[in-house]
Amino acid sequence: MTTHPISAHGLERSFGTLVAVDGIDLEVEEGEIFGFLGPNGAGKSTTVRMLVTLLKPTGGTASVAGYDVVEQPNMVRRSIGVALQDAAIDPLMTGNELLKLQAILHGLGSREATRRSGELLERVGLTKAGNRRVGTYSGGMRRRLDLALALIHNPSVLFLDEPTTGLDPTSRLSMWEEVRALNKEGTTVFLTTQYLEEADQLAGRIAIIDGGRIVRQGDPAVLKDEVGDPTLRIEIGDSIMLDTAKAVLTTFGEWRPARDGRLAIGLEGGAKRMADVVRSLDAQGVPVAHIELDTPSLDDVFSDATGRRLEGAMVDDEES
Amino acid sequence: MWMTRRNLTRVVRMPSIIIPMAIMPLFFVVAFTGSFSGITEVPGFPTRQVINWVAAYALIQGASFAGLGAAGSMATDLDDGFIDRLLLSPIRRSSILVAPLLYTAIRALIPITIVMVASAMSGAAMPGGVLGVTLAYVAGVGGGVVIGAFGLAVVLRMNDIRAMSVVQTLAFVVMFPSIGQVPLVLLSGWMHWVARINPVTNILRMARQGFLGPVTWADTWPGLLALAIGTVVFGAWAGYELERRNP
Repeated sequence: MTTHPISAHGLERSFGTLVAVDGIDLEVEEGEIFGFLGPNGAGKSTTVRMLVTLLKPTGGTASVAGYDVVEQPNMVRRSIGVALQDAAIDPLMTGNELLKLQAILHGLGSREATRRSGELLERVGLTKAGNRRVGTYSGGMRRRLDLALALIHNPSVLFLDEPTTGLDPTSRLSMWEEVRALNKEGTTVFLTTQYLEEADQLAGRIAIIDGGRIVRQGDPAVLKDEVGDPTLRIEIGDSIMLDTAKAVLTTFGEWRPARDGRLAIGLEGGAKRMADVVRSLDAQGVPVAHIELDTPSLDDVFSDATGRRLEGAMVDDEES
Repeated sequence: MWMTRRNLTRVVRMPSIIIPMAIMPLFFVVAFTGSFSGITEVPGFPTRQVINWVAAYALIQGASFAGLGAAGSMATDLDDGFIDRLLLSPIRRSSILVAPLLYTAIRALIPITIVMVASAMSGAAMPGGVLGVTLAYVAGVGGGVVIGAFGLAVVLRMNDIRAMSVVQTLAFVVMFPSIGQVPLVLLSGWMHWVARINPVTNILRMARQGFLGPVTWADTWPGLLALAIGTVVFGAWAGYELERRNP
């Protein structure tokens, strides 16, 4: 038995010549919400599938709830609750039936299954819809049911793979509340998300994965502090003046990745230098269309580690 | 049992699933009886009433639809990710395969019963008595289970709902070169050779014997052996594919 509910050392997974997860190390503390961030295709889901015993690692070791994921997969399965990204819910069954089936699959007796199903339907606000076919549920209701299914056997470790993807803001907030409540009750939560705000709101610690490797890991506040200077983003009103603007900005800090049409630097000295920047640009006749100063975000943490923007990458992925 | 119940619930909620299984056996009985009625005049044909001959083939064909249903159910679970829910639970892996096969066995009773009733109404004889009827059911249910196990293996191997077309094609290709439509003595060339070694021939002989005369052990054991080997071999293959997918 290890002291960590989730730990991985040199965990690897290859598919032929493609290395999806390239030797990651993780240690999740008991009772924390651990955020696992990364763009699409970074290796998040592959990592989760290995940790929950759906996929065998091709290298390294991992244990969950103190059990080795390869040697003791059934003990791992007894200890964890899993809500995967695509809620695998049979649309022809009712919420109540699915909960009972899940309970039986996890070894609960028929009477206990009925009691626990009712309790969880109430917890996720689906009591009235419990006897309706899942095919008639909204996206938010399906996610809540999926969460209830993951909790049926009172797991000590809960894996939530992108639990709010595709949900409207209200449903997202409601899911966050539920995750917080579960965590307060002592459940360790491993939360995979592509929403930086979600990780910021919920996670006590995070790991950022990119290209199958963990590029940053730790307390979000500390990671943001480590990025250093706040990011100054400027949109120039006249593209002819772009080179002049670049020459001015170079004197105020190091370049940071920015979206097309914008310039971004890490502003040395922080907010108090902002007026100097504006004055210098004005003195050179550079028209400023938009200017903003952002304290470091998790996106900056990602950018600092990889040279790319996480949010931009996701937008690109979603659009493609 | 709960997983089998889930499959049966799906049938109740989506009755269209069983329409092919209910209609096709009737179609086989009517079509084969009509098309092959003259064949009873051929010297060496073992019965004067063609329904006595085609009933067994129709019930095996009908039961095979039940087997395809098991494979289809697994293909749907793979497609929508429900299989992950099963794999994430601490149940024995064999249950994931046994449940759809048990479901197949129950489902197969529908087309077999339809064929038996339709055959009786068409004047089929049953000199084999209760034992003959029982063996017809055993052959039908067993045949459905073998097709089901084969289908599960192929679907798990291909990991795709499109595997169903492969399963259907192979299942019917295997059934065709057998004694389904005409006796072995009336077949010639490669067809005779293939039908003689085709295990489907043994299963059909077991199912058919009660319609043609008294039940004999000689016509029974090869069919039981074919069913046992088919279930074990294809079941083991499906088990291997499941293990390969989720070690």
